[in-house]
Amino acid sequence: GAGGPLARTIRAKLTAALQPTHLEVRDDSPRHGGPPGAETHFGVLVVSGRFAGLPLLQRHRLVHEALRAELAGPLHALQVIARTPQQWQSDPRAPPAPPCLGGSKRERRRG
Amino acid sequence: MSAAVRAGWRIGAAAAALRGRAGRPLSQAAGEGGGAESGGGGSGSREAVERLVREHPVVVFMKGSPAQPLCGFSNAVVQILRLHGVEDYRAHDVLQDPDLRQGIKNYSNWPTIPQVYLNGEFVGGCDILLQMHQNGDLVEELKKLGIRSALLDAEKDQEKK
Repeated sequence: GAGGPLARTIRAKLTAALQPTHLEVRDDSPRHGGPPGAETHFGVLVVSGRFAGLPLLQRHRLVHEALRAELAGPLHALQVIARTPQQWQSDPRAPPAPPCLGGSKRERRRG
Repeated sequence: MSAAVRAGWRIGAAAAALRGRAGRPLSQAAGEGGGAESGGGGSGSREAVERLVREHPVVVFMKGSPAQPLCGFSNAVVQILRLHGVEDYRAHDVLQDPDLRQGIKNYSNWPTIPQVYLNGEFVGGCDILLQMHQNGDLVEELKKLGIRSALLDAEKDQEKK
């Protein structure tokens, strides 16, 4: 389905900020020890012409800026792949997310 | 004991053993009262973070330690550095120090951990380091620091066969 409320917010904000030609929003929370639908750890794949000419750091900063409120709140971790349309066309694969090593379980969850 | 309560509340007995008096992180206890005067002076202040990012060509802020990463993203950084033969670097466990954890995010204006600094300059997190590793940029950046990536030697061994 469309995902939970945070997934929809992330999708909407990234779409508005970056006009992506391709966008994937993935809730990884269950892989980090959270219950299904916890919406704490996300991965986003953003393909946008806005990234042209920008180094990776600046691309990621654009994504963070679009999601500033969420990152200050419930969004605990965010994996980002940011490609230009040309890059995506020549290699339409995203690396898998690293496996969780239980870090979130070893700390008090932020209130 | 209030320190024991705080230890149980925070991270665990291992962390408590590393703390100084009154349960405060050792880095904070040592840092106060000395050095330049400017806002705060705690372990998360700009000055304290600046000192940390400059103390070695390769500095990583992570969850857990290189010997025992506590987060998959932090582990990815450790593994990538290991692939390049970079074993001598400074790693700071932000789970041991909430002030540092917030301070490093303020310093780099970057919301997540891990964070990688090369020559005092913020390079990015695990995603960026992985991409730099895959496209060859990391070998180049290490070379600029006078660090020869182990992957170059691996390639040379291949050529000899």
